[in-house]
Amino acid sequence: MNMTRRVFLSGLGASALAGAAGPAQAWESKAPDDPLGCLVDLARCTGCRKCEQACNNVNDLPEPDTLFTDLRLLDVKRRPDAGAYTVVNRYFPGKVDDENQLIPVHVKVQCMHCQDPACASACITGALSKKDNGTVHYDVSKCIGCRYCMVACPFQIPAYEYHKTVTPKVMKCTFCFDRLEEGKKPGCAEICPVEAITFGKRSMLLELARRRIRNDPGRYVDHIYGEKEAGGTSWLYVSPVPFHQLGFIDVPDFPMPRLSESIHKAVYSYLWAPVALFGMLYGVKSYNDRRDQKQAGQGGAQ
Amino acid sequence: MNRKFVMAGVVVLFLALPSLAAITAQHVDPIPTKESFVPEDMIKARERAAIVPELVTEVREESLYQRRKTLLEKGVGIQDVKHTFMLLDSPIIKAEHEDFYEPVRFMHGKHISVVDGDCSKCHHLRPTDPELSETVACSACHQKAFDPERPERIGLKAAYHIQCMTCHEEMKKGPVDCLGCHSRNAPDHEELVKLRPDPEPWDVTAECLRCHEKQGEDMLRSAHWLWRGPSPYTVERTKEVMSGKATNAVNNF
Amino acid sequence: MSHHAEPRPTESRFWTPGVMVMVCFMLAGGVALMARFIGGLGYATNLTDAYPWGLWIGIDVATGVALAAGGFSTAALAHIFGGHRYEAVTRPALLTAALGYTFVAIGIFVDIGRPWAIWKPMFFHNYTSVLFEVAMCVMTYLTVLWLEFVPIAAERWGEKIRLLGFLGRISTKVMSVLIVLGVVLSFMHQSGLGGLMLIAPTKLHPLWYTPLLPLLFLLSAISVGYPMVIFETGVATKSLKLESEMDILGPLSRFTILLLGIYMAVKLGDMFYRGTHVYLLDGTMQSNAFLLEVGLGVILPWLLILSPKTRRSRTRLFTAGALIVGGIVLNRVNVFLIGFTPPLADRPYFPSFAEVLVTAGFVATIMFLYRVAVTYLPVLSARSKEVSV
Repeated sequence: MNMTRRVFLSGLGASALAGAAGPAQAWESKAPDDPLGCLVDLARCTGCRKCEQACNNVNDLPEPDTLFTDLRLLDVKRRPDAGAYTVVNRYFPGKVDDENQLIPVHVKVQCMHCQDPACASACITGALSKKDNGTVHYDVSKCIGCRYCMVACPFQIPAYEYHKTVTPKVMKCTFCFDRLEEGKKPGCAEICPVEAITFGKRSMLLELARRRIRNDPGRYVDHIYGEKEAGGTSWLYVSPVPFHQLGFIDVPDFPMPRLSESIHKAVYSYLWAPVALFGMLYGVKSYNDRRDQKQAGQGGAQ
Repeated sequence: MNRKFVMAGVVVLFLALPSLAAITAQHVDPIPTKESFVPEDMIKARERAAIVPELVTEVREESLYQRRKTLLEKGVGIQDVKHTFMLLDSPIIKAEHEDFYEPVRFMHGKHISVVDGDCSKCHHLRPTDPELSETVACSACHQKAFDPERPERIGLKAAYHIQCMTCHEEMKKGPVDCLGCHSRNAPDHEELVKLRPDPEPWDVTAECLRCHEKQGEDMLRSAHWLWRGPSPYTVERTKEVMSGKATNAVNNF
Repeated sequence: MSHHAEPRPTESRFWTPGVMVMVCFMLAGGVALMARFIGGLGYATNLTDAYPWGLWIGIDVATGVALAAGGFSTAALAHIFGGHRYEAVTRPALLTAALGYTFVAIGIFVDIGRPWAIWKPMFFHNYTSVLFEVAMCVMTYLTVLWLEFVPIAAERWGEKIRLLGFLGRISTKVMSVLIVLGVVLSFMHQSGLGGLMLIAPTKLHPLWYTPLLPLLFLLSAISVGYPMVIFETGVATKSLKLESEMDILGPLSRFTILLLGIYMAVKLGDMFYRGTHVYLLDGTMQSNAFLLEVGLGVILPWLLILSPKTRRSRTRLFTAGALIVGGIVLNRVNVFLIGFTPPLADRPYFPSFAEVLVTAGFVATIMFLYRVAVTYLPVLSARSKEVSV
């Protein structure tokens, strides 16, 4: 009984500590002002897999085992992996057409290019970084292969070339960084036959998405996936059915790095905490050592 | 003098005849190749496809019903179709990316009759400028994709695809897959295929398999390869053959 | 000054059957390591894109760091806070820490995809990365640990090897700084290791995910320090047939009542504050693992060492220490492996045979090297009954 009360009281202490260690106000987003992005309209996507093919060509990825024209692969719930930066999956959320046939919804999956990416915050060497043009860029020359980015990513996007012995890479959508720098469009957005992927400034895309939802509320659910998820992402989605029915991960609205970076900054800005701890412990040690010496001296005298 | 001329003539004749024969032989080649024969209407269609109209910036906002009514009142209909078909091969699309497919040959005349002369099915809006036609080309409004000044207006390629596929789906008529409208843009194999000057049959098979290995494996799993036994049902073939590739074929690669 | 005998080499028989078994494990681990370096990570491990961190990070690195906490906690007690009676256990704890951290570094080297690029964080810094902070601290602390160990080696061979003797003298001069620095670095990366998972709130099970994770890791590392010393001294005295050091270990465990108590209080308090106790009895592997971790690894041993009877009995104290060590091991495994539940995962992670062999091989190697060191170097204070009171 006594024990329980003690635990409970200490628990209150812990909650006070928890309050103190909560997200500090000092955290600032490092997101670019108005990056480029893409709006994926799931009501338009027809599941032709041309984006997968274009992505494969543009990024010189290895040729897959199954042809890109094989649409049966749509029903295998695939994830982007070491061989494909983007995949399209087919879902049947339950809506039927006038002939009572299930209407498919196709979902393109790739890196969301977060505004405040967890992977870039986590990366030990800064091999992953958010660029001004919106891309979350991977610089393989800095990578050591620790795979912390894969642990950190809330969308579970980065994949690893586990099969390579010496030079494995983290594999994820590049948002065609080099093409964007040349003023070109991403490979997938350019090839898409129905403009299910609209490429442009994020602010413009958000406005476009809102307009589409407003103009056709029967066709879209009132949710822009990526507007707020993980603090906002460069890639956005609008959909005819709720996102949780389409394999989308329910990601909280705050930026993933906020908590860890706040704590990190609170403890390590100017290294004050380690230095203070060092000073304190060294002081205690010096005091104790002097006392011991004095005692030893007295002992010797006796 | 005369003899000299005759001699020269003979020499010239001997030299010229083979080459002349060669030239004439080329001219009477009975099988027209892709390059050698293009129908005249196709040449014209290509010329028309190459034209990029000036971009229409302003359009009159009209509902589809209103638009249909307007077109009916103005008497725009099947008689206004100038060309029975057109080649959807605009440089606007061409310039953008690599081509997986050949351009589509769009049967304008056929489509207008299928929709009972209702031009508004495709010509869903008109330019504000009264000088311009009621039924401007698709490419007059839809050009480059992702124009930041008109984000809501889709590009020409998407306009074609959405217009065609949506309507085909709604009317449950017409293809909705890629190869239903396009033919595949196969790369020119003349440069890809590398054979020695006097190839044996198996050299040819080997050369095909060099790239199409997977297709080769698929073939080995098909009836064309696995079939064994009699062939009594083969059309126009009375002789029964008790064999098959899988049993006693000699020309096995 | 101290009434204990000075540390000296045990010089007991080396090639015992136990050592032979360890060598077998080392050889098997070596074969598995070859498989990893020739065939690649994909060949040797069960790691996937959903579970990028496996046994090697969970055990070799995270648990290795936690269990090496004896090094800094005993050093702090004996050398900083003036607990001179505990000096006898600082050397074995230091040796364990130095060996442990060496194999943490080797474990990282084996686990990362590009081991040849392991030096890169020294030149490419990412200050927002918790892992960067941990890496820098571990690297520095490893150096500090071996510098602290140099005088011990110099005591034995300093006369023969001039350089060693020279280094030993320098190290002794700056020992005060090294000891304090070691404690500070330990605080930094022990907490940092917990901070690693803060960036993955959707993946770590709510029973473990809390903003206090760094604090909990630090508190648990501090509280496992002395139990780890109790545990390893128990094993060592048994294996090397030495005198029991109950006169030190008994009093040492009194600190654990307080330290483990604080950890337990914060952990349970945090759980109730966040209301995650609702998950406790839902029967999933995660909640069972949590119950096991906290029940058998924290609460039970804490209750045990509350009683003076336990603190006097060698067997009971060893049991309590082993339970606490087990609880912390399970905590690290829970945070990095069992509690790591990515929303999209087709099958849970289970280590491959090669992964287990490598980890077992590393543990065997640490034990082997520990035995080599205590046999030939003045680490353990082997005492006779006349001297020990």
